[in-house]
Amino acid sequence: MALQFPSTVDAPDAGLEPLISGYRPLHGVFDEMMDGDGRVRGHWQPFLAMLAALGADEINRRFAAADRYLRDSGVFYRVYEDAAGIERPWPLSHIPLIVEPGEWRQLEAGLVQRAELLEAVLADSYGPGTLTRDGRLPAAVVAGNPEFLRPLVGVEPPGGAHLRFYAVDVGRGADGRWWVLNDRAQAPSGAGYAIENRLALSRAIPDIYRKARVERVAPFFQALQAELLALSHRDDARISLLTPGPMNETYFEHAYLARYLGLLLVEGEDLSVQDDGVFIRTVSGLRRTEVLLRRIDADFADPLELNAASRLGVAGLLQAVRDGKVVIINALGAGLVEARAMLAFLPALAPVVLGAELKMPNVATWWLGRADMREDMIGKFDSMVIASAFTEQLPNAQLGSEILGARLDETQRQALMQSIRDRGIDYVAQEAVTLSSMPVWRDGRLQPRPFTLRLFLARTGARWQVLPAGFVRIADDIDARAVSLQRGAATADAWVLAHGPVAETTLLPTPERMPVQRASGLLPSRAADNLFWVGRYVERAEATLRLVRAIVNRVAEADDAAAPVIATLKALLGAWDAIPPDNAAAPATFTARAVLTRSDLDGSLPRLVSAARFAASVIRDRFSPDAWRALNDLAKLIATPLAADPTESAIAERVEAALRIIAALSGLAQENMTQLAGWRFLELGRRIERALLTCRLTRALAQAGTADGELDVLLELADSQITYRQRYVMIAAPAPVVDLVVLDPNNPRSVLYQLDRIEAHLRALPKRSSSGRLSPVQQIAASIATRLRTAEAAAVNEALIVDVEQALMKLSDAITAAYLTNNERSEPVWEALA
Amino acid sequence: MIYDVRQTTTCSYASPVAHARHVLRLTPVSRDGERVHVAALQIVPEPAHRREGQDFFGNRLTWIEINEPHQTLTVKLSARVAVDAEPIPPETPAWENVRDAAFATSDIGPLSPAHFLFPSRIVSLDPEIRDYVRQSFTPGRALLEAAIELIGRMKADIVYEIGATTVTTTPPMSFALRRGVCQDYAHIMISGLRGIGLPAAYVSGYLRSAPRTDPTRLQGADAMHAWVLLWCGTAGWIGLDPTNAILAGEDHVTLAIGRDYTDVAPMDGVILGSGGQHIDVAVAVTPAA
Repeated sequence: MALQFPSTVDAPDAGLEPLISGYRPLHGVFDEMMDGDGRVRGHWQPFLAMLAALGADEINRRFAAADRYLRDSGVFYRVYEDAAGIERPWPLSHIPLIVEPGEWRQLEAGLVQRAELLEAVLADSYGPGTLTRDGRLPAAVVAGNPEFLRPLVGVEPPGGAHLRFYAVDVGRGADGRWWVLNDRAQAPSGAGYAIENRLALSRAIPDIYRKARVERVAPFFQALQAELLALSHRDDARISLLTPGPMNETYFEHAYLARYLGLLLVEGEDLSVQDDGVFIRTVSGLRRTEVLLRRIDADFADPLELNAASRLGVAGLLQAVRDGKVVIINALGAGLVEARAMLAFLPALAPVVLGAELKMPNVATWWLGRADMREDMIGKFDSMVIASAFTEQLPNAQLGSEILGARLDETQRQALMQSIRDRGIDYVAQEAVTLSSMPVWRDGRLQPRPFTLRLFLARTGARWQVLPAGFVRIADDIDARAVSLQRGAATADAWVLAHGPVAETTLLPTPERMPVQRASGLLPSRAADNLFWVGRYVERAEATLRLVRAIVNRVAEADDAAAPVIATLKALLGAWDAIPPDNAAAPATFTARAVLTRSDLDGSLPRLVSAARFAASVIRDRFSPDAWRALNDLAKLIATPLAADPTESAIAERVEAALRIIAALSGLAQENMTQLAGWRFLELGRRIERALLTCRLTRALAQAGTADGELDVLLELADSQITYRQRYVMIAAPAPVVDLVVLDPNNPRSVLYQLDRIEAHLRALPKRSSSGRLSPVQQIAASIATRLRTAEAAAVNEALIVDVEQALMKLSDAITAAYLTNNERSEPVWEALA
Repeated sequence: MIYDVRQTTTCSYASPVAHARHVLRLTPVSRDGERVHVAALQIVPEPAHRREGQDFFGNRLTWIEINEPHQTLTVKLSARVAVDAEPIPPETPAWENVRDAAFATSDIGPLSPAHFLFPSRIVSLDPEIRDYVRQSFTPGRALLEAAIELIGRMKADIVYEIGATTVTTTPPMSFALRRGVCQDYAHIMISGLRGIGLPAAYVSGYLRSAPRTDPTRLQGADAMHAWVLLWCGTAGWIGLDPTNAILAGEDHVTLAIGRDYTDVAPMDGVILGSGGQHIDVAVAVTPAA
């Protein structure tokens, strides 16, 4: 395959015909792939030729593979408006935007210059305020911005820079020039999604990707990582990514980036400001962090000095910043330069601040706080976009975030004009930009769609580096006015073509001084707590499923002898709140169905699985994608409708499928959980729950006067039939059964075996005290174990088992107190006094 | 007039608080028209860490951290403050001119009108309040004349009623009720003034104490009081007390200035504990002997 980029193409390549026939650029719109004469631009030729060579069927197959990869990696985004907080599958548009090297260098130069300008504006606004005093930036444009953080005026940001990671949305106008549409300086999102898009696409069409000489993304992130590390001075300090938590729409990306960059994912609750710095609450006590890559908005960062209603921040964080104890990226207050009003002044500030004109224009903007501008723009209303100067929404909330003047009806128009005459300071007018289009693959062919491109820059040392890739958002209709591009309906990768050969870099490199190893041993208490509960819920779900299976198995026998056994099992389910209280007389399939479907009962499968899934979802970064998928499969299976009057085999099938997934999940946890301390907490949760449930089963099924068959059920539930038969080759008798299920240290299902495992895990956990004695937690575990080790099967009575159960619950509480909550934060109640 | 100011703020908690961080805005500072001779805060229990500083607007802040379990926190202010009522300018410009000057100002300092033009944490710009205020601001009218008419209307239209609102009541809520205390009067007035583009600030402070039988006793004496500063262009900031429909004068002692109550709340905090809390405030402002 020839890989030159012909600058012009004389005749449409015959081989491309099936792909591009019928592709027509939209009227008056610059198309990335095709020029005005209907010819494919040179830099798109090799890619399209290779794609065409695959044929439509193979293209569809490859693209489906990319979607599968994304689904399997658990890439999602959350839709805020959605009451249920549903996670949506990732909408990848598979055709990348292709950018040729010469054009890329221009973009790069324009963006680096812009980053320097914004840094200078921030330094001045939080510093001497010269630009304002000299009349170049109206005071109201600074003071009116909610992101202007007055407590940080006069404070030099620790680390010396306000901006370190910066994103820009650009679009190409009808004239073929790139324009800056938006600056993202607060906590830019999208870089993680850009990596995922790249991985998905490069795996789906590896041959094309390799031959197309696409600039790699890894070196940029390596440089960013090295920079973060250089900002952290102490060897014992961790670098953290501060997330608002799993309810945020881009939480997946936070977890992904944290993993990719080797950062510790923390929430505000994980952090504590002490007088000598910022610390992470971990299962090993407080650990220092000196660098925070933040994804929470500044206003939420410190309930003490900023938004008192915030539950996401850390009290005292501003003080730590003023004391120079923590580098926050981007600095709190950097969001100041995101405001649309700023766009009106940056072009004129550039020559003053940098001594040069902007290399790349931003969308033409006028701030309507100026009396002269105001009247002028009111005259040109119809050709303008009116938007909020500082905030997301226009003050006239029903108009949304921006509105094309021409789209207003007369009443709206009069109202808006009056508002602008009253308070023009709240508004900007912007030129309506027509975005360029790029191809998307729809219905087996290429079609043009408007898009915007988000580009990312990182400060590395004294200079800025641009990620040679991007995050493309594509509109779902063909209206190419920027104003209609609300939220991208789809996203795509951006391929920057290299001049020469591309150095093959693996995407997950591990150079010498990477924080990965240092961070791996660190487990925030909150994460450990959630892992512990995932373990408990999953175990409870498994035991409940086994009970249902035991009931259904016995219905088939249809003999009266089974009736008392079924009654006992139902009673157990009732005690676990898995079935409604009045279920005694109901048919067994009815009972089973209730357990499998009743989401109003605390002990039902839907509730247990969703509790497990929720606990796991808040620590996604500590779950392997496979384990997370298994948990999702389980949730999906349980949510699948079940016939109102299911057959026994339908129920058995569902139960078996669920148990298989749980078995897989246990295996995955065992095999894949690299976070060692984390795995131990998951295990502790499971072991404690299993020991507790086995005690309860034993009390119900192996006590004096048990009905026929109950011991068999106990063996079945404890998965110990085979062992029992091998050992005794006879009918089940109380003492041997109790011995096997409770006391036998070699039976992986016995209570004592769980205690042995619990003791082993506790020994391996970080010590919270230095004395050589057993910790209080270990003492509780040891006392239960000793009691069981010294007990005779015949002496195991109800009282003893109840004692063990109570001690196990005490053990669970003690683990929680010792590792999962810190003494200094026992369920904090945040309260702003007045 | 020289005053001795005493304020005792007592927080009582339902259960012991193990750890607390607070920001206190309870110390007056010298500023135009007011000179602080002496001011001291006494805090019990003794904070493990205590730090003094000032906020963007020049108010005095005290950050404290208490590490010992405590069921009450007491902060006592003792201060001697001299108040000189500033002369009221005989005339002020048309309000629209003041608005345009505020929009165009190149002053970004602490008391620049630019900081006080926009919605703030608790003061949204409510169209109904704006329209109510606009009735006094007819085209071309002198700013202060219009503002004085406005506070007269507010006192007549809004009922002073303790308990009808709380510290978190927003201006549209109290305006709809036509009820409230000094904080609500101030917030409503600020919302309306900013709504038509005029810079307005929130003042927390005190009124001269007087016996309840004293006919000159002002509404809000013997408690913390709040009023409004209106920017009048070259004439600077002028204090207006909408609760009493008077200009702020020698009876008004300023404690702190901000965009709204949340900027000057006397005590903010994050505590580690459970259960409720009760706050008791006692104020005495007496002419120094």
